[in-house]
Amino acid sequence: MKGLNFRWAILLLAILLALPTFVHDTFVLRVITEGIMWIGLAVAFDVIAGYTGYLNFGHGAFFGLGAYTVAILMMRGNWPFALALPAGGVVAAIAAFIAGLPTLRLKGPYFAIATWALARAIQQLALMMDITGGPDGMRLPALLNPQFFYYLMFGVVAVTFTLLWYLLERAPFGLKLKAIREDDLGAKALGLNPTKLKMQSFVLSSIPTGILGGIYAYWITFIDPASTLGDMISDQALVMVVFGGMGTLLGPVIGAIVIFSFKTLFWAYLSDYQVLYLIILGALIALSVVFMPNGLWGTYLGKRATRRKEKESTGEYIDLRVAQKEGE
Amino acid sequence: MELLPQALIDGILLGGIYITIAVAFSLTYGVMHVIDFAVGEWIMFGAFAGYYLNKLTGLDPFILLPAVFLIFALVGYLVQPVIHRVMSGNRGNPLLMGLVFTFALALMFQGVALTVFGFYTNSIPSTFSEGSILIEKLGLSMTIPTIRLAGLCYALGITAMLHYLLKKTTFGLGVRALAQHKDAAGLMGVNGKRTGAYVYAIYVGISAMTGVLIGCIFSVSAQMGAQYTIFAFFVVVLAGMGYLAGVPWAALLLGMVQSIFLIYFDPGHTLLAVFAILYTILLISPKGLFGRGV
Repeated sequence: MKGLNFRWAILLLAILLALPTFVHDTFVLRVITEGIMWIGLAVAFDVIAGYTGYLNFGHGAFFGLGAYTVAILMMRGNWPFALALPAGGVVAAIAAFIAGLPTLRLKGPYFAIATWALARAIQQLALMMDITGGPDGMRLPALLNPQFFYYLMFGVVAVTFTLLWYLLERAPFGLKLKAIREDDLGAKALGLNPTKLKMQSFVLSSIPTGILGGIYAYWITFIDPASTLGDMISDQALVMVVFGGMGTLLGPVIGAIVIFSFKTLFWAYLSDYQVLYLIILGALIALSVVFMPNGLWGTYLGKRATRRKEKESTGEYIDLRVAQKEGE
Repeated sequence: MELLPQALIDGILLGGIYITIAVAFSLTYGVMHVIDFAVGEWIMFGAFAGYYLNKLTGLDPFILLPAVFLIFALVGYLVQPVIHRVMSGNRGNPLLMGLVFTFALALMFQGVALTVFGFYTNSIPSTFSEGSILIEKLGLSMTIPTIRLAGLCYALGITAMLHYLLKKTTFGLGVRALAQHKDAAGLMGVNGKRTGAYVYAIYVGISAMTGVLIGCIFSVSAQMGAQYTIFAFFVVVLAGMGYLAGVPWAALLLGMVQSIFLIYFDPGHTLLAVFAILYTILLISPKGLFGRGV
């Protein structure tokens, strides 16, 4: 099973790497690049929401912080993009640390509120300050090289995904986070330091978010508080994670692909009904919470597990040799 | 300095409105253990209900308050079982799911409001909205708009009624028991599901009524909700989550902060100031000003 997954991953990687050589339509490449960005955002969101059990409604703020850091450093400080981009991640990490300091010691609702309020405060700040250009936003020099952005976005998301896969699914770190999610007190009794681990998870989730924001700023070349720091980014990340499956790595990826495809189609054909999109997002979250709390991928995993159990209990597939092989 | 008494009076009048929002909100958190992200949206819907009922019947919005309460209490009564379902049963992380669900409700409500009501700003006319009381004593002059005074009276009335309901009735005893310990209250014969539904209904009704009032004093628009959600959070966190007795003081403090910023500083900075205070409080005394929160 493991070998099969690995083979699929290599195949997918090869296809995605070769993609720009046979997709020449700039628009299609642009859509795919944005889709990859959303996969990265959703996976990063899931680290703190799904694995640790703390809802970060300020996810979009960290994205915007990264974008604004890159824009300000490049436009006002004349930094090269290669230096400004890591700075975006660093600023997002520092912001996460500051925001997490008082709130991560407390119960989940406090954190959800505080991050939500923080996002609004940051947006307000960006609207009022001179250095951010206020409500007019900022323009960046245009680099008309879609392939460059495709590979950059893909590279960052692939590295993030692999790193998170190792940390959350292979290293003990993921198990520790899950222990905190299930029982804060119990985790403490096991000798874990929940506050510290939660902080690590929060910072870990904010760094790729900030970096993706930075790439986005340079790629789109125009950022303003309404689009970059608004609620929409957090809302969409939440939909993707809840719909795809919280607390899994593949769930957010599936959610991101489905929701992003829907969004693209929606904006292409129904852009006159912008507010309808809000209703659909809300309804999607509500319906998945009520009827599919584990999300698409989580429900599938659960079904597969019960099917296996049933087969084993009816004695249909008990074959010791096979079982041994799988165990190896 | 001349403006200080006026700022204080404005703060008290403003804080009175926040009391009603936050008391009901805090009560719901205590009983259902869920933060309702849709609080601002209930206020917004209430304000629109007041606006349209006033247009239809021509009655004063203050007379319409009971009608608005009844309509929205019914809505809340019907919505609560869904939240209860999300948060109970064989699910992982019920608290998180409840939070996500109310957030989804808020998103949907906002979308619906923008679709139905559009982006316009209206206000509800009331007989109180014209006059104001001028006080000149000891060389100080203060004006108190009648409508805001009426708002304060309404807030005090609601708070007194809730106090009576919680402290003097069997229902209130059940509510307090549920807030203390859900399972133990169930063993003592408190029907958690039904009591939760009643509390949620009362909360939604009060929020909607307050919305009508806000519509009279300020304005009605589809995007007004988020601001009041933040204010409700601020008051409840400041008071200590679930600690009702702290709510009035925290609400008055918020009113003061807002009116002082309005007079002395840039009103645009109010949200930042609110956030800075919230952050400091959480850092120093995470259980609220009185250290009595959950």
